[in-house]
Amino acid sequence: MSQGILLFIEQRDGVLNRTSYEAMVAAQGIAAATAEKLSAVVLGKSIGGVASEVATKKLDGVYVVEDDKLAEYTSDGFTEASRQVIQKLDPRFVLLSHTYQVRDFAPRVAARIGATFVTDCVGFRAEGSDVVFTRQIFQGKINTDVRVNGAPPILASFQAGSYRADKAENGDAPAPINPLEVSLSDVQIRSQAEPKFQEAKQAVDLSQAPLIVAVGRGIKSQENIEIVEKLAAAMGAEIAASRPICDNEWLPMDRQIGSSGQTVSPKLYLAVGISGAIQHVVGMKNSQTIVAINKDAEAPIFDIADYGIVGDLFDIVPALTAEITRVKTEG
Amino acid sequence: MDVLLVGAGPANLACALQLSRLIASHNERMRQSAGKPLEEVNIAVIEKASEIGAHQLSGAVLDPISLRELIPDFESEGAPLEAPVGEEHVYFLSTNGKIPMPILPPPLRNHGNYVVSINKLVRWLGEKCEDAGINVFPEFPGAEMLYDGNAVIGVRTGDKGIDKTGKPKPNFEPGVDITAKVTVLGEGVRGSLTKQMVQRLKLDQEADPQVYSVGIKELWEVPDDRFAPGSVIHTLGFPLDSHTFGGSWVYGMRDRIIDIGLAVGLDYRDPRIDPHHEFQIFKTHPLIKDLLKGGKLVRYGAKAMPVGGWYTMPQLSADGVMIIGDSAGMLNGERLKGIHIAIKAGMLAASTILDALVKGDFTRNTLAAFDDHFKQSYCGQELQKARNFHQAFDRGRMFGLITAGVSTLTGGRLPSRLPIKAGHEHLRKIDGNGEKDKYEGLKYDDQITFGKLTDVYYSSTHHDEDQPPHLKVLDTNICIDRCTHEYGNPCENFCPANVYEMVEAGAEKRRLQINFSNCVHCKTCDIMDPYQIINWVPPEGGGGPNYRNM
Repeated sequence: MSQGILLFIEQRDGVLNRTSYEAMVAAQGIAAATAEKLSAVVLGKSIGGVASEVATKKLDGVYVVEDDKLAEYTSDGFTEASRQVIQKLDPRFVLLSHTYQVRDFAPRVAARIGATFVTDCVGFRAEGSDVVFTRQIFQGKINTDVRVNGAPPILASFQAGSYRADKAENGDAPAPINPLEVSLSDVQIRSQAEPKFQEAKQAVDLSQAPLIVAVGRGIKSQENIEIVEKLAAAMGAEIAASRPICDNEWLPMDRQIGSSGQTVSPKLYLAVGISGAIQHVVGMKNSQTIVAINKDAEAPIFDIADYGIVGDLFDIVPALTAEITRVKTEG
Repeated sequence: MDVLLVGAGPANLACALQLSRLIASHNERMRQSAGKPLEEVNIAVIEKASEIGAHQLSGAVLDPISLRELIPDFESEGAPLEAPVGEEHVYFLSTNGKIPMPILPPPLRNHGNYVVSINKLVRWLGEKCEDAGINVFPEFPGAEMLYDGNAVIGVRTGDKGIDKTGKPKPNFEPGVDITAKVTVLGEGVRGSLTKQMVQRLKLDQEADPQVYSVGIKELWEVPDDRFAPGSVIHTLGFPLDSHTFGGSWVYGMRDRIIDIGLAVGLDYRDPRIDPHHEFQIFKTHPLIKDLLKGGKLVRYGAKAMPVGGWYTMPQLSADGVMIIGDSAGMLNGERLKGIHIAIKAGMLAASTILDALVKGDFTRNTLAAFDDHFKQSYCGQELQKARNFHQAFDRGRMFGLITAGVSTLTGGRLPSRLPIKAGHEHLRKIDGNGEKDKYEGLKYDDQITFGKLTDVYYSSTHHDEDQPPHLKVLDTNICIDRCTHEYGNPCENFCPANVYEMVEAGAEKRRLQINFSNCVHCKTCDIMDPYQIINWVPPEGGGGPNYRNM
């Protein structure tokens, strides 16, 4: 008869995925409520470190499944290995964290063994020895209770953030670690992992910049942005922009200051060709010193500027750049 | 779902609330008479705004007649009323002076009515609905109607998480198909689903084209009790020209808030007219300037309203669907009121839906009873009496005032039904030699008057920037080639939120830039565009203005 709870631990290159501990909080809770034994399983290659780390938690055992075919994550390898693990251990509940990997292999496993899979749960509640899972529907507007009437095992995955990883209880003594054999010789791995890559640089965080030169519609065309960039470079400042510039894609959207962009409060904010619409001003009005260059003396930016230059930015900006460069080089 | 209501406004919330009660009392009767009660009926309301009421804007003075029917003790139940209407004035304004109307025109007599904030009222109705077990889902816009043949079977909601190039983002969630036995469209003025459906099912075959006004509104907080809650002023005349229908309202709210607005008929002649600018000029009239002096602007918004009335209403039901409230043109332009009609229509629709649920028949055979019941109701009769009001102004203000006066005396009877055409067809072409700027020299003092962009800020409108524009301009070449020469790009003028801008694109070239994230969902562009190539569709759920106390 199926019994016990099996928690899948996710790792990559020997580094534990923290959301596994979040799911562990739920698993420990379910174990306590149902008086079932809780075991964890780690799949991969050279994962002894992860297994020992997991074994410090309050668990009845940790299974380690190592195989060359599990060195990299693949749908084929993990689906078949998981299927064999579940078949061997015959648990009542199989719990997972709702990661990208889980989304990929867990439905396949459920389909192969004919089990029910309750996805993306945010909570659970014990009713007698039964477990009722809570999951969200209608794009998170409603919580719904799910009770599974079918035969075990019941698969359930928990949404990231539903539980706090630091609430996973430590055990009094390390849990026993046992290897578990799976046979993957017949499995043909049909996909091959590309080299791993990190998403390019994070969005610019202008809120930390002490000096900002911001450019607005007064710059007229994309080619002219360059003169402001030169000024920013000479000053050692970050470049930013008001909305029309980013709308035109003359600068990327993460450089936009204002109600639909970033809010900044640098030591110096130099506004070049920015009229000072309220939508922009709310994003920079707390700057310590505001300097504005605009040809319209009635532009609202001058209402909040500490220093203002009324004039043509195409004359002023290059002159300013030259002067700053001169002062800096001559010390 | 059994009953799906699109749009959480007064019409649909009244309908949902009334329906839940009718079902309960029907089942009670059945139990007592050993008849068969209805099985559980699922009622859901979907709403595009981020919360219930956030897209609601109206004057408003409420005629409580239908709310009293729906919730007899609405005062003691805590309905958010500002004040009973007290002192009332109607003025005809000249540039600097004012002429009081010798007698208060009967349609503008408001004794017994209440000054309200529609936004607060709707939030309160929403709570009543939720207490009654009705599901109200904000942030769910209806994207398209679902049909089986020509019968409506529900609504598909909008996708979430599409980027500006149309590709799914990491948070992409496709819209859901919500099927229902009966769908009620109470989307408000110029509903995007209603527009699609009325065309497809030809529900406006016997109706005149709908005509609209746009209301520009601000809330002001003044430093003293200079304008008592419940005080009401209406004006005609300044600053609108004699070919432009419209007038202003000034209502006293609680806590030293003044609610002030200008309605501009969207059937004006001069394409250079800018309703926002007209409203700013209106505030410079001594009567208004003195009222606002020393106060501060707290909110801004705009919303179109249907003013064509009786003859412009579409067929109100078809197989599996009903249309109520502003979506169906249920507003009395003569009294400047529609909330009470919307509530009554919602209640009548609920009765018909109950019949349909009992019979198990949701075709027009059953639902058509609603058309009749509405027209025979006191609200239908009110619209019928005012049937020639706006039509009279089709030929200018003088003709309008006189004819409307006669019409009031005769209970709407005139020698003949007055013709009317769609508002945008009234636009005249600009003088090819280039007319001078109509508002040349208009300056904003940031005390009493404000530029459009500043005003938009006070609407608290917000849209995720990384999504496709929800203003679909079918052919932007027309903007550059034809419209610039023929009408001078009036979209830049009629939009009260600075959404449309013709910007320089290299030497002597211009292009249309759509600042969709400024949009306040007023629908004026969809209505007034002379080529009818702007199609307003709902943006990602939750986007739009965030009105409070409007």
